[in-house]
Amino acid sequence: MVAAAVVLLAAPIAVRALPADDPEVPAARLLVAAQASGTVAYSGYVESSGTLQLPVTDQFSEVAGLLGGRSRLRVWWRSADDWRVDSLTPAGERDLLHSHGLTTEWDYEAERVTTTPRSEVRLPRSSDLLPPELGRLVLADARPGEVSALGAETVAGIDAAGLRLVPAERQATVDHVDVWMDPDTGLPLQVSVFSADAAAPDISTRFLELSTTMPSERVTRFVAPPGVSVDFDDVVDVAGAAQRYAPVVAPRRLAGLGPRRGGLGRGAVGEYGRGVTAMAAIPLWENSAEPLREQLARTPGAVVEADGSSSLSVGPLELLLTPEAFDEHSWLLLGTVTHPTLERAAAQLARRALMVAYP
Amino acid sequence: MIAVELRKLVTRPRTWITIALIDALPTLVAVLLALTDIGPRPGTGPAFLSAVLSDGTLFPLAALAMVLPLFLPVAVALTAGDAIAGEAQSGTLRYLLVRPVGRARLLLAKLVSVVAFVLIAVVVVAVTAYVVGALLLGDAPLSSSVSGTALTQQELAWRTALALGYAVLAMLGVASIALFFSTVTDSPQGAAMGALAVLIASTLLLTLDASQALQPYLPTRYWLAFVDLFRDPILWRDVLRGVVQQVLYVVVFLGAAWANFSTRDITS
Amino acid sequence: MIVTSGLTKRYGQVLAVDDVGLDVREGDIYGFLGANGSGKTTTVRMLLGLVLATSGDIELLGRPMPRQAAAVLPRVGALVEGPAAYGHLSGRANLTLIDAAGAGAPRRSRRARVDDALEQVGLGQVAGRKVRAYSLGMRQRLGLAAALLRRPSLLVLDEPTNGLDPQGISEVRELLLGLHGRGTTVFLSSHLLAEVEQLCTRVGVLDRGRLVLQDQLATLQQPTGRTVVRTPDAAAAHALLDGRVERLSGDRLVVARIEPAELNRRLVAAGLRITELGPERRTLEQVVLAATTDSPVVSP
Repeated sequence: MVAAAVVLLAAPIAVRALPADDPEVPAARLLVAAQASGTVAYSGYVESSGTLQLPVTDQFSEVAGLLGGRSRLRVWWRSADDWRVDSLTPAGERDLLHSHGLTTEWDYEAERVTTTPRSEVRLPRSSDLLPPELGRLVLADARPGEVSALGAETVAGIDAAGLRLVPAERQATVDHVDVWMDPDTGLPLQVSVFSADAAAPDISTRFLELSTTMPSERVTRFVAPPGVSVDFDDVVDVAGAAQRYAPVVAPRRLAGLGPRRGGLGRGAVGEYGRGVTAMAAIPLWENSAEPLREQLARTPGAVVEADGSSSLSVGPLELLLTPEAFDEHSWLLLGTVTHPTLERAAAQLARRALMVAYP
Repeated sequence: MIAVELRKLVTRPRTWITIALIDALPTLVAVLLALTDIGPRPGTGPAFLSAVLSDGTLFPLAALAMVLPLFLPVAVALTAGDAIAGEAQSGTLRYLLVRPVGRARLLLAKLVSVVAFVLIAVVVVAVTAYVVGALLLGDAPLSSSVSGTALTQQELAWRTALALGYAVLAMLGVASIALFFSTVTDSPQGAAMGALAVLIASTLLLTLDASQALQPYLPTRYWLAFVDLFRDPILWRDVLRGVVQQVLYVVVFLGAAWANFSTRDITS
Repeated sequence: MIVTSGLTKRYGQVLAVDDVGLDVREGDIYGFLGANGSGKTTTVRMLLGLVLATSGDIELLGRPMPRQAAAVLPRVGALVEGPAAYGHLSGRANLTLIDAAGAGAPRRSRRARVDDALEQVGLGQVAGRKVRAYSLGMRQRLGLAAALLRRPSLLVLDEPTNGLDPQGISEVRELLLGLHGRGTTVFLSSHLLAEVEQLCTRVGVLDRGRLVLQDQLATLQQPTGRTVVRTPDAAAAHALLDGRVERLSGDRLVVARIEPAELNRRLVAAGLRITELGPERRTLEQVVLAATTDSPVVSP
């Protein structure tokens, strides 16, 4: 009886511990394959977990949940312009459906449908935690010299090839990122982000089930249930709102970092850096900045400087909120760059804002 | 013997008092919802509770989500914990065995009577909730799935039936654990407490990240996965795991109960 | 009817029953005596298959137990360590349930069997009342009724008169004698010497787990060969029978190695006044005391 129970318990563990076949593909080829995997259609089930405890205000609660907790995601990905990601909760789900440049969010528990146009600037959302999306994001601008092969691991039943990225920038707070991908398609299957001397990943996301057949069209189409009205929202979130309505415009280069390739065109929000070394400068009206500042003042670990700026460091994420400027706005600087880098950026922005306040 | 046990089950006032108590909670909630029209804030209430304001046909599920985490398992643990230990405590066990009733037969009869109790409880809750939901709560023409797609009456009916079946199976897992403890001790309360301790420990460990490796084995891990039956497309992953897991729990604990009971000295 | 050999039960370090060889024959009313904690109940439970023996064999009605319990137990009625019933049901409902439990009790004649058993123990009047409201004595009778349901050929009764008033005790005694008269073998365990002495034909005595005595009651109470004399002239009698008096206490002498008739003649010839003269018989109490304080001796 006891022996039978032990066998029952041990079998799944033993199966998981079986070594994966190492396909032994050179790192540089894996990198290219991953970067080119954007056309692969897939569907599956993803679990991600993050250990980054962000201070929570209403506008940032969803981000905090994504980075600081466990998420269960279902995904049907036909193409970059036709996909659906369900973020599962115990008593409901929040679905993102994207097609024809429009993103529709369905929140079951709130019985709410919101449709927003595509925005270049937005806060992280559930679809960014999909291993293919996160994997391609971190590997986007990687150079062959930054990556090395890791060996294989079984992910969602696939013998996945591992690739380690160690960013070359001295401003980087991310120590390394491990990406496991399907050696045939280059599709990233598991991504783990480590900050310096962290034993466990700060963010880790992996497929538990995966199919690379084209998902049905019906699944990614959304028809609002009867009796539920659809809200149209012009701006996606605070970051998107800032991009459009902000009082000031971020400079092209900041703190020694150039504009992010494939990032924004002209707009108020500035995106800088390369690959996993990224920094964003977001101008906020005081009605958005003030609650955040208050929240930071109450957050353990957050620092309020003598000049009134608040900063917080969570794993590889650094955040700095400048003091209110004369014209009722503040800069929110955040990114995976070191704290001195953000301070330099803040100083530059303060000088510049004094000189040219309006675009 | 099975007939005797069923007769004992239905003639015992406690059976019906317990079921009435289980049933009272969702009914009270329905009345409150109907009177105030205030649903729970998103992410706080049990599953489906916000949706029933507009769609009363979902109320059996909301009722299930309400009673499944606590009320139902407590009732099942008490009933199954009483199965052998209760007879031992009242002294009737020895008279049943010298009747003679074979020990395996007695265990089987007790199991059947516990299954009957679970079925009665779940069906009574579902039927009451259906009636209450239809009378008091919203009457949307079409129900929608958790993913926002429309469900026909037929789809809703069979998904609800699946969910009820799943809940019954989950409670059978509890019943097996309690039945095992019931063969270990002569105190029905002790047996019920033992089973509940397992469930509470399981619930607690589920909130702990450090116990992640253990979680697929915890008995309460997949209980609320019946919600997945109402996603579109249905997410079978956790439901199937839950089914396999509960079947294993039933097999292991019933086996242990049988092994223990058939070789035990009856000194009560 | 009941034969055990080398029956032993060990609970951890404690030897509860040690090498017991019971021999209960058909037609016996067997009194199984022993102090509380002597292992009586454990033995009874082993006979009925409730407790599994550590070693040794049991035969009930000629078949091995507990292997053939399913064949043996339907012909055995038992009352073990007090009665038990479901309090929320009536006495009749309890008997109906217990009759329906287990195979071999036809449904059609159930009502008749239940009524008959209730009548036998004198519970007919209160059969409809909930057992919760029963007195201890009524519960005891209900337990007896349950044991009698199948008209067993062997009754195993553990302390059957517990909780009964003198009237009830005598009723139960009459009932058992009646059943015995109709061919039922009775195995009755008790700590009451008087009960056993009045009722039983055969006696076994258990002391600290060992069977120290087992014999026909009549044999145990056979004359000892000594003569008891009561006389106001005890001192004179003692002098007269010098060497033959084994014990002298007050006016009572125990005399050995002389025929009662001869003894009587001598005493009368010496002009002594005699109140009483007769063969010495031991009481069961004496027998039991002798057996349990001495080193254990099992008579064949």
